[in-house]
Amino acid sequence: MAALRRDQLERALAYLISLAATLLTVFPILWLLTVSLKSQRDAFAVPPKLVFEPIADHFLGLLDKPGFVEAFRNSVIVTALGVAIAIVIAIFAAYSIHRFRFRGKQLFGVWLLLAYMLPEFLFIIPLFVLYQRIGWYDSHIGLAFAYQAHSLPFAVWLIRSFFREVPLELDDASRIDGCHHLGTLRHVYIPMAAPGIAATAILTAIWIWNELTIALSLTFSEAQTITVAVASFRGYTSINWGGMAAASVVAVLPMLLFAVVAQKYIVKGLTLGSLKG
Amino acid sequence: MSASVNRAAYVFIAPALLILAGTSLYPAIYSFVLSFFNWNWGVQFDFIGLRNYSDLLGSAEFWQVLYQTFLFAVAATGLELLLGLGLAVVVDRLGFGAGIIRTLLLTPLMVSGIIVALMSKILLDPMLGFVNYLLVSLGLPPSPFFGTTATAMSTIIMVDAWWQTAFVFIIVLAGLQSLAQEPIEAARVDGANSLQIFLRVKLPMLRGVLFTVLIFRTIDTLKVFDIIFGTTGGGPQIATEVMQTFAYRKAFSFLQMSEAMTVMVIFSTIVLLICLLYMRLESRLEKA
Repeated sequence: MAALRRDQLERALAYLISLAATLLTVFPILWLLTVSLKSQRDAFAVPPKLVFEPIADHFLGLLDKPGFVEAFRNSVIVTALGVAIAIVIAIFAAYSIHRFRFRGKQLFGVWLLLAYMLPEFLFIIPLFVLYQRIGWYDSHIGLAFAYQAHSLPFAVWLIRSFFREVPLELDDASRIDGCHHLGTLRHVYIPMAAPGIAATAILTAIWIWNELTIALSLTFSEAQTITVAVASFRGYTSINWGGMAAASVVAVLPMLLFAVVAQKYIVKGLTLGSLKG
Repeated sequence: MSASVNRAAYVFIAPALLILAGTSLYPAIYSFVLSFFNWNWGVQFDFIGLRNYSDLLGSAEFWQVLYQTFLFAVAATGLELLLGLGLAVVVDRLGFGAGIIRTLLLTPLMVSGIIVALMSKILLDPMLGFVNYLLVSLGLPPSPFFGTTATAMSTIIMVDAWWQTAFVFIIVLAGLQSLAQEPIEAARVDGANSLQIFLRVKLPMLRGVLFTVLIFRTIDTLKVFDIIFGTTGGGPQIATEVMQTFAYRKAFSFLQMSEAMTVMVIFSTIVLLICLLYMRLESRLEKA
């Protein structure tokens, strides 16, 4: 009886802590949303106004802010391009590592790890110099390419761990049917690992969409991404909270919607890599 | 047969090799080579041997920035590990509503670092921010947060904890939920309470997962950039400057290209050594 009471008490406590943590997590995002809908006077009011008349001015203002709409479009293009390159190339590389023994395989693994782990600016400053010379500075392709130092190792690593879950008998069966490697990849591995590949693509897309460091260094106006556009608000914080909040909401909304729709995949991708190593 | 198999292996991996060569190998070698030159984006381009290294290692600024980078990484990683582990244990106990709570707890991971930065500037504004209003109405003293050298770093650590604790949480939670049930049941039959079960049974079984998370968070926090760039920009003075903001400033504000690359070569070596150290520890952990 005492044990039961204790169990109930523990569970009640667990709910209390979880709810407090959830509130702490969600509150800043909701607050940002309210600031984006407040007039300047309401946003600066002390004590803070919880009830206010919402206005759409800050969102409409973004349409007139030079380059903001283009920045959103650039982010869509660069994200699509970056994910496509990473996934297609990683599928082949992952198959190669999974299926074959070859010289240099271990070295390749170490290289992947290093490209993923080493600080961005080791790669970005030289790429900045290179891009200035070959005309890739401030271009979609240049940025999508630079992202591969991070995205490609991540995708290879994750897709490979999904390939490992494909039963070997299926692989053997397709080989007996006379399939070449391309056929086995196409008819066995890709369909079997499709949910895993989707999870990888989603996580890569989220990473690229949210990335600032590389975009800030390698773009200027033509290919400027949404995070760089949002960052341009940081100078005059005290003047334009509304614009800053509205821009942030526009930038974060696609990812939050994404997260709701694809949560299962996201959790799968995030956890598989670290649990199975 | 085996020759053709090998050829397929190389053909399949070739595109990845080419792209990685362009995006990581070439730049890393370029940085290394340029670190022996003096080049500030002009026509002047002199070989100066180890001068960049001796200049940097002899400057107090460099050591302060390195110290601050580690201070941030250790504090943020420690805090996130503790909070994430605690949260995972708590959410693991929930029944009804656990799914929705988990979803909500994951939202910070979808938010870009620059947005986290701007959001915290609004909430933590010393004069008009909501948090100081809350502190004062609870009878507590307000904080200048990002505004002073004494408080700026701990504020950024707090912001990072808001942002990335979810990463630790979700992985540890998955780890907890995939633990073998027999040892836990056995301990319960022996009359152990939940705290004892957690400390003596679950925690040791989670060792591998926690170690992986520790590596990821250490490396990631050492490389911190966006949340500092977006809040203090390294200030006040250089109180929150870290290696990556330091290199960014040198390269893109002052065009001290070769010096910035030297900073990154030194820092990358340090990150590399930490990776090696962790791998060593991990293999020892597995043997134990």
